[in-house]
Amino acid sequence: MKKFRKILFLAGALAIFGASCDKEDAIETNDFTEFPSMGLHKYVITVTPIGTTGIADILLTSDYLDRGSITTAGNGIEQDGSYRYYLTHKGRFFSLLYGQGNPGAVTTYRMNASGKLVKTTDFQTETVQVFTKVNDELLLMKVPRSGTETCNLYRIDALKSRIAGSDSINIVKLAANGERAHFTWATQVGDKVFAPYMSIKGCCSDAFGTVYPDSTWIAVLSYPGLKLEKVIRDNRTSYLGAYFNNGLAVTDNGDIYGYSPAAATNSSKYISKNPSAMVRILKGTTEFDKSYFFNVQEKSGGYHIAAQTYLTGSKFLLAMYGEPNAFPATRKMALVDVETQSFAWIKGMPDEILSITAPYNNNTISEDGNTGFIGLNTSTGSWVYAIDIATATATKGLTVEGGKITAITKVDY
Amino acid sequence: MYIKRSLLLSILLSLAFLTHAQSVATISGYLKDAAGNPVPGASVKLQHHNTNAIADEKGYFRIASAPPGKHTLHITAVGFQKITHELNLKAGANQVVNLTLEQSVNDIEAVSVIGRSTVKEVGRQAYNVTAIDAKKLYNSTLDLSHALDRVSGIRVREDGGLGSRMNFSLNGFSGRQVKIFLDGVPMDNFGSSFQLNNIPINLAERVEVYKGVVPIWLGSDALGGAINIVTSNKQHSYLDVSYSYGSFNTHRSTINAGYTAKSGFTVQLNAFQNYSDNNYRVRVNVADLVTGEYYPRQWVRRFHDTYHNETVIANVGVVGKKYADKLLFGITMGKSYSELQTGARMVSVFGDIHNRGTIVMPSVKYQVKNIFVKGLDFSLTGNYNLGSEQQIDTVNRRYNWFRQHVPNNGAERNRTMYKFNNNNGIGTANLSYKLNERHSFALNDVYTTFNRKGKDPLYPNDEKYDHPKTVRKNVIGLGYKYDYNEKWNTSLFVKNYSQHVSFAESFNPTGNWGDVAYRKLNNDINKWGYGIATTYFVMPALQLKSSFEKSYRLPEAEELFGDVIGNLDGAPDLKPETSNNFNFGVSYQARIAAAHRLSVDANFLYRDAKDFIRPRLNANQTKQVNGNEAAVTNAGFDAEVRYSFKQLFTAGVNMTCQNLRNQTKFEDGQKNVSPLYRDRIPNMPYLFGNADASLFFKNVLKKGNSLTLGYNFLYVHEYYLSWPGQAEVKLTIPRQFCQDVNIVYSLANGRYNVALECKNLVDNKLYDNFSLQKPGRAFYGKFRYFISK
Repeated sequence: MKKFRKILFLAGALAIFGASCDKEDAIETNDFTEFPSMGLHKYVITVTPIGTTGIADILLTSDYLDRGSITTAGNGIEQDGSYRYYLTHKGRFFSLLYGQGNPGAVTTYRMNASGKLVKTTDFQTETVQVFTKVNDELLLMKVPRSGTETCNLYRIDALKSRIAGSDSINIVKLAANGERAHFTWATQVGDKVFAPYMSIKGCCSDAFGTVYPDSTWIAVLSYPGLKLEKVIRDNRTSYLGAYFNNGLAVTDNGDIYGYSPAAATNSSKYISKNPSAMVRILKGTTEFDKSYFFNVQEKSGGYHIAAQTYLTGSKFLLAMYGEPNAFPATRKMALVDVETQSFAWIKGMPDEILSITAPYNNNTISEDGNTGFIGLNTSTGSWVYAIDIATATATKGLTVEGGKITAITKVDY
Repeated sequence: MYIKRSLLLSILLSLAFLTHAQSVATISGYLKDAAGNPVPGASVKLQHHNTNAIADEKGYFRIASAPPGKHTLHITAVGFQKITHELNLKAGANQVVNLTLEQSVNDIEAVSVIGRSTVKEVGRQAYNVTAIDAKKLYNSTLDLSHALDRVSGIRVREDGGLGSRMNFSLNGFSGRQVKIFLDGVPMDNFGSSFQLNNIPINLAERVEVYKGVVPIWLGSDALGGAINIVTSNKQHSYLDVSYSYGSFNTHRSTINAGYTAKSGFTVQLNAFQNYSDNNYRVRVNVADLVTGEYYPRQWVRRFHDTYHNETVIANVGVVGKKYADKLLFGITMGKSYSELQTGARMVSVFGDIHNRGTIVMPSVKYQVKNIFVKGLDFSLTGNYNLGSEQQIDTVNRRYNWFRQHVPNNGAERNRTMYKFNNNNGIGTANLSYKLNERHSFALNDVYTTFNRKGKDPLYPNDEKYDHPKTVRKNVIGLGYKYDYNEKWNTSLFVKNYSQHVSFAESFNPTGNWGDVAYRKLNNDINKWGYGIATTYFVMPALQLKSSFEKSYRLPEAEELFGDVIGNLDGAPDLKPETSNNFNFGVSYQARIAAAHRLSVDANFLYRDAKDFIRPRLNANQTKQVNGNEAAVTNAGFDAEVRYSFKQLFTAGVNMTCQNLRNQTKFEDGQKNVSPLYRDRIPNMPYLFGNADASLFFKNVLKKGNSLTLGYNFLYVHEYYLSWPGQAEVKLTIPRQFCQDVNIVYSLANGRYNVALECKNLVDNKLYDNFSLQKPGRAFYGKFRYFISK
């Protein structure tokens, strides 16, 4: 009996032991205390470790981009998922999950007073293909490539990290050509939002194919009403931008420049006849400037534009497809002046660029406007390159060890 | 009594003497233990002859025809020391041999009261094997998978409650790397309606867990070990009925019945049913569907996770015939219904997606011993599953954890009503030949076929459903076993793996986002593997085991093409994985005084795997998908210590520790050393253990009634969701404790049994794959009725 009691005691002790202290599983969101702006900034560098799939982008922070090195080993903030897209607005760093058909979780980070990136909130939206900054908000667009004809638009209050309103557009009606309008991106222009779109079939095992490969469209939406006001049309290029890629930029003087990769397909064949070029809409107008046409493909010796980043004045950084008259995965970098229509390959770049950082949210140009930054990934490593805008020359800056750089942005605090 | 017996025997023998030619002799006798009680079931063998006998329930045995001359008799019985007896037989005479057997140290009694005892014969193999005596768990409410969860080296990985997708992690290998067999037939093609998570424990007689090297007669292509469920082979008549009810509106019932006539005609019927709402509480952030903000850390009940299945297995045939020791024709019929509550992560919440599955599987089993020549045995099995699976996602809603919903573009995830049939079949053939006491040979072949065909009524013209998805696989193995003596035996084997996969690969013809085209591809694989396993008994109570295998595993249809109905995406370009497996094991059984018994088992292992197949989250975090990891090693250790005191008390503890490391130095297309080189493989528990204790009381309240109290404790160390060496702020799956307690009261020597169980006694939080949450505290009761003749 004594033994039995002992056993009972032991069992009781074990039960209590087991009951103690289960950790809270929901990931902590730090209690963030507001502080007056310190007029400082840091760079957030997002990295996908080599060899990982499906999980764990890592956010690294750095005070500079032009020198030194950082690593993901034991350093940085792990993200829940690697199909993530990043946007910086109003001192907030937003990490958006691309969850195809599933809710897209968004995590908001801020710099605390000691310059450390901390998570402030989580919220949920739908998985979206377009996200852009408008006023104090983020505009998110969920563009269906097949099935439903409804494109949902969400306005996110960037300060409160919550959905402020939503609306929708019928994209088949918008296209009005039997296909569907697929927004490539959206850009705030004055108090309006300009959203270029491509026309796609959205069906028949050729969702992104089209029979309209040489036309250009930009939908003009009011804000915050999100009412369709106009469609700006042209037929000198193909559609502007690309899927998940910002085709428009507003320069310092208020003019709007757009690029076309001339990459429309039908049944998986490239069929655009118009060249890869840049076009312009003058400040205050809602028509293309027919007198302006910058034939980049011709100037570059046959290369198509893959992406653009506006730098300063009339200077743009262009990512070009790595081979002429083709669409390989590799890239070459070029600097153009859209006013003089000059084109220069950037000197000092690695021979083979496997991928570049996201061009849609690169706000990392130096304070004096002389230097632009871009992250480049090669088979021998990843670096941030500093580009001297005046000479179109690049120099190796920050070395990033551990993976591919997917985005670099500046966060103020 | 004894005199009467002898008299009867003498008469019989005289008759035999008269009818038989005088060139043979007979041996008969009586076996008793030290206390004078008869020893039933003892095996009596004539050395160097294939002649043997089994003692009857009163301890008597008889060998009818033995050649005259000098002989040695070997007598073995479970729980007794082996004895040999020399004798000289005269032609035409009967030799009477009465012997007393000494109880052995590794007494079966020591383990007979323990739920997961090493079933002795299985344990004597050179393979690293643990056997669970399922009969000891018939009164519990466990299903097969959870019984296995308590074996050292094993972790059950599951997505949620009753009926949820599950697999095993065995010494660092998991998923389909661990092959599951039912009576030696791979369970590859059984569909969702008949799986380990819905098969009641009462269907099995025992479950064998092979860690590492798998014996040749199990065949097929297991990489990390195998689990073989041995169903009842009883050739008498019995009825076993049970019903259990518990938390989350869980109802489970089973009927197992068998009848064998004197003529050898036999009928077996197994029927079972599971139902559960699975509406257990989970701790989640709940999204406001209008603002997108989360209400943090809410306790909510799962609301769309009902699961039920109903299955009947019937077998009819004959046993004990000259042309067939066993010939059974059977059919398994069943259906299942399951609701899908979440994606691969808890943030994707569904409220209407559900799956339906059916199984219609005719089968045949044929077994004949001593075909053509003595010692040559042959068996053949075959089955073909005509069942179907379907996922239905047609409701235009986005749900949150409060069960609120808003419209969502036509479906919850992917608008579908895809219904398909995997048309899969398996045939196995086994030929074994025992040349003599020392040399035996085995040839095994397993052939499987898979041909998925289906249609989606919502998209009748979508070409992706017309693409071929076929797999044909054949694994043939040849084994040789050398039994030097009772102390030492060795097995050698060689295997050939071949597979033909035909599918349509989707690719991006332009490099543009979202562009899809298909090209038809064939993939043929042909590989050779080999291995050796040896065991040596240093003392009767101390056994050493060692084995090595170069093994291959060919990706399975579900890994190649996805499960469609769950959260597993296909990866048609998956390569076969291979591993060099080294195992070393020690087991020791000690008896301290008469009443105390102790057993210790320890296993060391090393795995050197290439193209290691590992589940990951897909890019969108909503499903799992498999990928090849170029090189992975695992050095592991597991140990179990078990103590028992008389037949009153038993307790055990086991611990498993494994060290899976990524050995891929250079990733594809990279010239720098991978940052993940030598990092620990994520999302895989690497330190875990169990402890258990049971108390047994006999003749409680009434003679023949017994009461058992049981306790089980589970520990899983915290592990990382992603690569441990990367990042500072990380996601982890927290440390887990779980305690279960149970009471079983058996009446009338086990005819009626009542069990009460409480799982997760103190409501600890439990997680699994990618931090999916599992049920908290739950209560179950079970009633069981069993008779046999």
